[in-house]
Amino acid sequence: MTAGAPPPILEAVDVGYCYPGGTPTQALEGLSLEIADGEFVALLGPVGCGKTTLLRIFAGFLQPAKGRVRCSGASIDGPGWQRGYVLQEEAIFPWMTVRQNVEFGLLAKGLEPDDRGKVSDELLELIGLTAFADAYPRELSTGMSKMVEVVRVLATDPSILLLDEPFGALDAQTRQRMQDALAQLWAQRRKTVLFVTHDAEEALYLADRVLVLSPRPGRVKATFAVEIPRPRSLDTRFSPEFLALKRQIWAAAGLEGRFIR
Amino acid sequence: MVIARRSLLWMVSLLALIGVYTLAARLVSRPDILPPTEEIATAFGALLGRGVQLGGGGEHAHHQHHPDSQQMETLLQEGVTLQAALAVTTGRVLFGLAVGLPLGALFGLLLGASRRADDYLHPIYILVRSVPPLAFITYIMLWLGHGEAHRLIPVVYAVAVTMVIPTYHGARDVAGKYVEAARALGARGRLLLLKILLPASGPAMVGGLRYSLAIAWMTAVGAEMLMAENGMGNLLVGGGMWSSRLQTRSDPAVIIVGILALAAAGWAMDACAKALGARLTRWARA
Amino acid sequence: MSWTRVRRAVIGLVAASVLYVLAAELGRGRLPDRIWLGAHYVENVQLLPTWRSLLEEGTFLIQSNILVESVVVSTRRVVLGLLLGSIAGILLGLLTGAASRLEALADPWVTFFRFTPALALLPLYVVWFGYGESSKVLLIATNVAVITFLGAHHGVRGVPRVYLDAAAALGADRWLQFRKVILPAAFPSILASIRVATGLAWVTIVVAELINAQMPSLGYLLALAGAYPRVPNMLIGLATVGALVLVFDLLALLLHAWGTRWMERAA
Repeated sequence: MTAGAPPPILEAVDVGYCYPGGTPTQALEGLSLEIADGEFVALLGPVGCGKTTLLRIFAGFLQPAKGRVRCSGASIDGPGWQRGYVLQEEAIFPWMTVRQNVEFGLLAKGLEPDDRGKVSDELLELIGLTAFADAYPRELSTGMSKMVEVVRVLATDPSILLLDEPFGALDAQTRQRMQDALAQLWAQRRKTVLFVTHDAEEALYLADRVLVLSPRPGRVKATFAVEIPRPRSLDTRFSPEFLALKRQIWAAAGLEGRFIR
Repeated sequence: MVIARRSLLWMVSLLALIGVYTLAARLVSRPDILPPTEEIATAFGALLGRGVQLGGGGEHAHHQHHPDSQQMETLLQEGVTLQAALAVTTGRVLFGLAVGLPLGALFGLLLGASRRADDYLHPIYILVRSVPPLAFITYIMLWLGHGEAHRLIPVVYAVAVTMVIPTYHGARDVAGKYVEAARALGARGRLLLLKILLPASGPAMVGGLRYSLAIAWMTAVGAEMLMAENGMGNLLVGGGMWSSRLQTRSDPAVIIVGILALAAAGWAMDACAKALGARLTRWARA
Repeated sequence: MSWTRVRRAVIGLVAASVLYVLAAELGRGRLPDRIWLGAHYVENVQLLPTWRSLLEEGTFLIQSNILVESVVVSTRRVVLGLLLGSIAGILLGLLTGAASRLEALADPWVTFFRFTPALALLPLYVVWFGYGESSKVLLIATNVAVITFLGAHHGVRGVPRVYLDAAAALGADRWLQFRKVILPAAFPSILASIRVATGLAWVTIVVAELINAQMPSLGYLLALAGAYPRVPNMLIGLATVGALVLVFDLLALLLHAWGTRWMERAA
């Protein structure tokens, strides 16, 4: 890091975390990474490698046992709207309408109803759910439910988005559509995104940089710069550069070959 | 099973219940243990009527079957009617709910939402809840005298204690992820409590409400059986005060009428609670 | 069980005891010791007895065998009632759960017992079975039966269809399905209801014994302590009941944990 350059927007230095309990689990150990402003970074790794743990540390729900994490140079003391966090589980508020969900962060900020309405109108149109504005979440499909959660977190205009396998529960086609929707959203409102996934193709398709994590205890095993131009489309998925990168990532992540570990 | 067929079987079973009972009563032919169905009806009428009349048709005929039971007489003498007694007990139940539900729910939410509070306070809660509320009643009497308070406090206490656990599980198991998402959106304090924690724990609390209802009825009736001059519990043990209860020979017809009335009231309140709960959680997925 | 939690639990309990001691000491001079009991005054009542007087009374009660006998008698009734009631309730619940026709038939009976407050049946049982053991044990048994019935019924009904289909597709007949699929799947619900029933059994017995107080029983102890009144005895009686309830609850909890050891646990 050159002197005088602004601090990375997200930074982890030698982070370690251990889950207590009957069998203590060392989720992360010696993990370091830096993320610059406006980057779309994918965290790739097999199930159980600590990706969610790292995300939760950045979100402010956990404190690292060792090492430290910083956001724009300052330490992270707890959750806040500046680091928008979308959980892996379904967390859309079922007792509120879609619009009320989207406006919730603004409500917490203390905006007036009219101002909130303007923002939610815009965002709902962005994901094409204007017709469902006053519907309850139970009328939505899982995919759209997740998009509402993403857009809910965008409403407060945070500079950082932390997304934990948001499309994990979806079928292949819906997932691709959601990925395109997310890419489009990101193109329009450039933010720093840390996106956790176990799907190498998804990581490649969406990100500028892919960080491969080792299995438990997690640390950064490899980094790949994705220089494929945007906007990316279905064709991109079959282009030679894409496939070559994919093969490299698979090798790095140890995903090839063996059926049984 | 088709609904119609179910209701039919239900009715059949109900009629069978009454029929079997009537038959049994007639066969056993011991009216002081199994009063014949007509007598139960008579007792019902007598208890509904203007309670102060002695020597009217209804309970006089009744008295002929039960020469040694003074329960009916005592009750009528004291001017006890079924409706009045039921109203009194219902009042106590409602009071207990009105005060106990919020107390229990607040405590449950606190324990469920804050790990620290849970660690410190849960053991104390377990100890406290292990003591049956009605056992306290004489102790409370020493503090507050022989008044309404010492009948109401066990009910409030029982309701509060019962409400804690379902609310606790609702807040801890269900609401957890919603609270996190809300905090990640910048919510805290009152907004978090009112708009997130409370609705998310709602369904669990409704279950707790129905359970607390049953407990409230039981405790109120029990308190009345132990020491009250009015209410259903009092009716069931035959009026009179604490010491005379053990001597009064009970009249089963009166008791059965009382029990049926209580069951009906309990069922009605539960149905209301269920309907109320369904309305409040309309947003919930099936 | 992490040490932080144990430490905090101990702190909480110690703090509560300290608060009580403070209250008792403060109360010594200030609380009234002359109580109006509706018909007469009673002198020398310690509303908040100090630990020392509790200890003295406690020792006396144990040494004179009063406490022990009462505990034995009351516990015996609870255990009998629990056994009787759970066997009856579980069997009925399993039957009606499996056969919906039977369920519709049993419904009015169950609804009736369910909505009758447990204690209301006591006078009736006394008329039918006299003042002795049977009426109390049967009262407990009735309540326990209702609760375990609901638990068993709900457990059977709640077995996910998929398991039954999978078993049938593997060639299991109805009886095997019942033994090896329905029963184990219903176990958690049954055991949970046993836990609830245990608590209720104790509540029932205490009140039943308070109303029909006969020596020796815990209810009688409490009633006697209330009649004088002797507050240390009362508190000791309450604490004993509480301790017994706790022990039984713990046993029921262990039973539940054993029966659900294959289930996933929430954190």
